[in-house]
Amino acid sequence: MELGSLQRRYIDFTSALFREGFLDNQYTQLQQLQDESNPEFVLEVVTLFFEDSEKLLDELSRTLDQQVVDYKKVDAHVHQLKGSSASIGAQRVKNVCMAFRNCCEERNQEGCLRCLQQVRQEYFLVKSKLETLFRLEKQILAAGGSVPVLW
Amino acid sequence: MEEVKEEGEEMDVNDCGGGGLEVVRVLVVDDSPVDRKIVEMLLRRSEGIFDVVSVDSGKKAMEVLGLNEIEAKPPNHDDQKIDIVLTDYCMPEMTGLDLLKAVKANSSSRSIPVVMMSSENDSERISSCRAIGAEDFILKPLQVKDVQRLRTYTVPIGPMSKRGSKRKLPMALIAESNGAEARPLLAKVAAFGSAVFLTLNFWRSSVMSSSCN
Repeated sequence: MELGSLQRRYIDFTSALFREGFLDNQYTQLQQLQDESNPEFVLEVVTLFFEDSEKLLDELSRTLDQQVVDYKKVDAHVHQLKGSSASIGAQRVKNVCMAFRNCCEERNQEGCLRCLQQVRQEYFLVKSKLETLFRLEKQILAAGGSVPVLW
Repeated sequence: MEEVKEEGEEMDVNDCGGGGLEVVRVLVVDDSPVDRKIVEMLLRRSEGIFDVVSVDSGKKAMEVLGLNEIEAKPPNHDDQKIDIVLTDYCMPEMTGLDLLKAVKANSSSRSIPVVMMSSENDSERISSCRAIGAEDFILKPLQVKDVQRLRTYTVPIGPMSKRGSKRKLPMALIAESNGAEARPLLAKVAAFGSAVFLTLNFWRSSVMSSSCN
């Protein structure tokens, strides 16, 4: 694909991510922190988010699968996931985490399991979107162009 | 992730950040690797003002501060010289509140400003931290303006103390009107202006003088 098309695709794709609520302004803040001395900062932070989130999701599955659910532990994990998703601007993941915490407070196992399913769904959706975004950035750079700045 | 610097590694006394201001060494304490990385970058991007040491637990923070023994040893030449602690509130095992209490309970570390970070805007939490001696309470995710004002908590006025030998006269407080409802402590300090700032630093100088004897 030629450079101009790649850049247009990047702009459209990124705009849609914000419009559809997958990302919020916090993601833009991360992009603004990136510079020539740390050209992969956003990728590094998001990669950490992926690793951390998948560990937390596995832990949540295990904890909610117990005969006697430790809701304090569930809440602690959800709190951490909410925090890290807010930090990278993964808005939809953060919002589901907020609902999840309410279910923890109510000690509602069925509600928690539903929330876990939703948060998984939102997490893997945003992961896939971000991976596409990073692929597009890589393609643009490989084609000798620069990644459009949308802020 | 920034590794804790080696024991015995000293800061260059002539090490100045942007604009001739001296470098402030910040101890960042956060169990979230994502948040730690972001805060480190925010600090590093602040015009060379900050030198960052980061750890992932309150326990490790205690080690860096030399507080991990039953009887804390007095500060010596080889200890990490931390100018300010920036700690998350919610951490497993040792919370940020526990760390704040430990720092303020110990004569060798009491004068080090501690700033709390949290994703929860909980007024009770903020009040209890303030009561124990936290300088400020910042909502996560942190922004550039949040880290820039950290410097204002580290600069004493008057004669240079042993710990403050690299510090210069204080900068003016930057009044915050944006989002003040989420940062009630800072809104109060801004309202009192320089009078509060001078009083606070006079107190700090007095504590530092007595702790160095």
